[in-house]
Amino acid sequence: MEELEKLKRELKDLNAEYAKIKDVPAEKRGEFGRELNAKKTEILNRIKEAEDAMLDAEVKPLDITAPCSPNEPLPEVYSVFEGSEHPLMTELDRVIEIYQLMGFDVVESRQLDDEFHMFDSLNFAKEHPARDGYDTFRTEEGLIPPAHTSTMQHRVLKAYKHNLEEGKEIAVVVPGRVYRNEDVDATHEHTFYQCEGVYVSKNCTLGNMLGILREFFEKYYEQKLNIRTQPGYFPFTEPSLEFMIEKPKALGGKKGDFLEMLGCGMIHPNVLKMAGIDPTEYHGFAWGGGIDRLVMLRYGLKDVRNFESGNLNFLKEF
Amino acid sequence: MLISLNWLKKYVKIPVSDEELIRLIGARLVEVEGVIDESHKYDGIKIVRVETAEKIENTHLTLCMVNDGSAELTQVLCGAPNVREGMLAAWIAPGATVPASVHEDAPFIIGTRKMLGKYDSHGMLAAPDELDLGDMHDGIAEIDPEMAKPGDSLADVFELNDKILEIENKSLTHRPDTFGLIGFAREVAGILGQKFDEVELTTELEEKNQIEIEITNPEICSRYTAVVLERHGEIKKKYLTWQDTILAKSGMRPVDPIVDATNYLMLLTGQPLHAFDYDKFVAVGNAKEAKIIVRLAKDGEKLTLLDNKEIVLNDNDIVITSNNVPVALAGAMGGASTMIDENTRNIIIESAAFSLYNLRKTQMAHGIFSEAITRFTKGQPAYQTLAVASECAKMLEGGFKVAMVSDAYPKPEKENRVKISTAEINGLLGTEYSNELIKSTLSNVGFTVSGDENLDIVAPSWRTDIHIKEDIIEEVGRLLGYDNIAPVLPLHGTATPNKMLSLKKKIRSILNEYGCNEVLTYSFVSERLLENACLDTKNSYKIVNSISPDLQLVRQSIVPSLLDKAHLNQKIPYDSFALFEMNKIYRKDWGMNEESVPTEKMSLGFVLAERKTVGDAYYKAKNFVEKLLKRFNIEPEFRPLKQMGAECLPFENKRAAEIWVGEEYIGVVGEFKNVVKRNFKLNDYLAGFELNLDKILNLESSVVIPSSFEIKDKQDLTITTKKSYREVYNQVKEKYSDAEVTPVGIYQPEGVEDKNITFHLEFR
Repeated sequence: MEELEKLKRELKDLNAEYAKIKDVPAEKRGEFGRELNAKKTEILNRIKEAEDAMLDAEVKPLDITAPCSPNEPLPEVYSVFEGSEHPLMTELDRVIEIYQLMGFDVVESRQLDDEFHMFDSLNFAKEHPARDGYDTFRTEEGLIPPAHTSTMQHRVLKAYKHNLEEGKEIAVVVPGRVYRNEDVDATHEHTFYQCEGVYVSKNCTLGNMLGILREFFEKYYEQKLNIRTQPGYFPFTEPSLEFMIEKPKALGGKKGDFLEMLGCGMIHPNVLKMAGIDPTEYHGFAWGGGIDRLVMLRYGLKDVRNFESGNLNFLKEF
Repeated sequence: MLISLNWLKKYVKIPVSDEELIRLIGARLVEVEGVIDESHKYDGIKIVRVETAEKIENTHLTLCMVNDGSAELTQVLCGAPNVREGMLAAWIAPGATVPASVHEDAPFIIGTRKMLGKYDSHGMLAAPDELDLGDMHDGIAEIDPEMAKPGDSLADVFELNDKILEIENKSLTHRPDTFGLIGFAREVAGILGQKFDEVELTTELEEKNQIEIEITNPEICSRYTAVVLERHGEIKKKYLTWQDTILAKSGMRPVDPIVDATNYLMLLTGQPLHAFDYDKFVAVGNAKEAKIIVRLAKDGEKLTLLDNKEIVLNDNDIVITSNNVPVALAGAMGGASTMIDENTRNIIIESAAFSLYNLRKTQMAHGIFSEAITRFTKGQPAYQTLAVASECAKMLEGGFKVAMVSDAYPKPEKENRVKISTAEINGLLGTEYSNELIKSTLSNVGFTVSGDENLDIVAPSWRTDIHIKEDIIEEVGRLLGYDNIAPVLPLHGTATPNKMLSLKKKIRSILNEYGCNEVLTYSFVSERLLENACLDTKNSYKIVNSISPDLQLVRQSIVPSLLDKAHLNQKIPYDSFALFEMNKIYRKDWGMNEESVPTEKMSLGFVLAERKTVGDAYYKAKNFVEKLLKRFNIEPEFRPLKQMGAECLPFENKRAAEIWVGEEYIGVVGEFKNVVKRNFKLNDYLAGFELNLDKILNLESSVVIPSSFEIKDKQDLTITTKKSYREVYNQVKEKYSDAEVTPVGIYQPEGVEDKNITFHLEFR
């Protein structure tokens, strides 16, 4: 308190100093003014600090070990009717469950990764234009908040390689948050969720990949679906495809109304090689697709921006 | 990229409907983003002959009588200076729409109107820009009488009833050959199971009177062909041509005969060309004869481009120089100093192959996204530079003759050869395609295939992307249709559960049951948000290309983001709520993990806020922590705050606690500093916690569930004391070690220092 009053007096005195500027020779006025301004800024900062300290000084301590304040009732939690789980998270749990029932282990993706995992380990040539297609963010250190969950492929292949040695297959899905440097609108977010799938065995085929994907989407939307593919291009798969489903009737779909759900393909031999897996002995396939879109379709949601809005009006609907 | 179906059909027979063709292209070649239907764009536009043309005095208008093939002449007023008797023109009849306006919100429909108060003008004579066939508006389009007669429909004469495919370029990143119509048509033939009739360009010119070409490094330019053309006459551009319509439908614009020829050939073959003014080129180099040097630019070198912008080059840019003076940014744009103009006599046609890696950086550094650089950054192969330049010379032979031909090809491309068995192809695809089918599928699109079971395959020169077995498998699978591959579920084992995901799922469900709301907030936050929460911004990884300052720093903890959302919801207004989020966090001071990527932690953040000003929110938040952890059989201890980490910084020392389990610190709970409340504009009744879920996961798996649930005895116990609750609790626990001790209440009469703490004891 005393400190604060002292500072305020100093400020008053300083303000008075400004009047003296007319006595200072013209050529020195600039310097004189700057010095005064610097002093003033410093005092104002100290006043703010002192005020903040005072704010905190008024705070009364409490017994942090007690269950409540004296003479107050024991606190209670809120009513179950107020609660909500985030739709993206509950749906992601469902997605994972379906894959787990199909025999897939689950590994969560990182949210800050490096160039090696995001690109190099996935057979992107150095400086290749394909790297531009991902609109990645970068940190000062050159780290990358991943633009796809494929950033985990190399790790998963290495971590599960022993399965192959034991005569088993690698079957892993990787859910996670990904980031793209793009403008946000009702159907685009710079932050969204994806789920990656990786499968490697001695004799798996592209037909197996289509089988797994169809099975997943039919389980997820709880109905039979028509599927379709189109050629795509990813440096880390060869062949590469886009996988589409016919929009379910129950969700307002019409015949021939196909939606792109994910990118997929047979894992490029270079990607297997880099993880120490012999591509002449083993084959694999991988896929990755957005969760937000899956959920929006299921609930008929129109605006992806709601997911990260933190707005209770939206969240309490779930 | 835009592809005209009518143009495509000139190179490949299409036995299926347009709809089916588009579906097949989508399923087997590339994503078709959209189809622009121009089947009716030119309805009601006819070729007419101007029979009489009379200038109306003191106006720019001409009164015309036009013959549209019917018995009677029609009167039209025309403002164009080039209208004259006897010419053929395009006439937009009354009731028809101006083609350039068909995709506008209010298309312009032409009618009959009275002009200058006395002349009825029926319809209009159209300029190229109104027809959407060029930018020109300085005169009406003139039609070649060899091509049409009065009464013909404009659309029929120029094949304008068309569908234009909008192709998603990204999915052809690895297929430079398909960025020319011929390459695209070849693929369409392959998809349809037809052998493609290769298009024969003109015979390649032989090198003569060579001008000197020096390529300093073959890595930046594997081939450079230069053809010098000498003017011997004028190429008069009088009529609207079919080539103009192709340029227009492909998204380009007719400019002048030389540029149009280079652009047309690029669209046809995928090989970009550039035309220099030969005499300017020689003059810039200050030499007697042209000397072309292709080299990397020097940092800081300057070049003024065709669009008159001066750019500062860097040492990645490839430049074409005249005797070492830069005259063009290779692959991207020509320079102003050698630009062709109406006085140009002689020209150099450049046809070259440049490094896509350099050009990609050039594209980014200078923000140039021309049709040419789009093709070059896909990696245009070098095999056809001379052929395309020769074709260009042929197209311009009406006004130019070939004077010099040079072809520097320091790094010829290797033949791409792959050996693969049909069993390997079928094995990876899960198909049973026959040898014959596989062989014909590949040879239809130009592969040379020999052998039976074991195929020896040579890729055609335009397929520089074919190197390994999988490339061949992709060709077969794609051309025959992935949709024809039967989906089959593989057999495999069972999954191991992911404990962290199970933990988060349980927490999600428990906190929902306790009336809390799960949110997701961005992983990136602003400096201001961290400062408002008293965190050190320097401990955050910083995004250098963030979308906005609001999303610049990687967050160090979850609670600050929740405080921000608490403010939003208090404003809506919600009177009381609890937000939580489970997500990953990063801090610089945690350093790197064994993989040399930043250490990450899974964190649970929680903030409760109520619209009241009295009461101790601390105990409410603490209750949530205790109740939640109890569900995992974890009994925490609350110790005074000693600032264990950044998550503690927003909390008020006197009204917050560290959460410990045995010797493990797992998080922080409490009320926030007054400055934090003020910064986030939040009401007084506010508290939260942040828990490290990795630690909880370890603790959870090590707990033992009590064996007996039978209650043998119970009693209540009240103790009068000055001590802290915990001290008393510990004493009670020590004395009644076999009892479960829970608090009932704390009573403190006014003006008295002692508290009465009541416990409930249950003996099992």
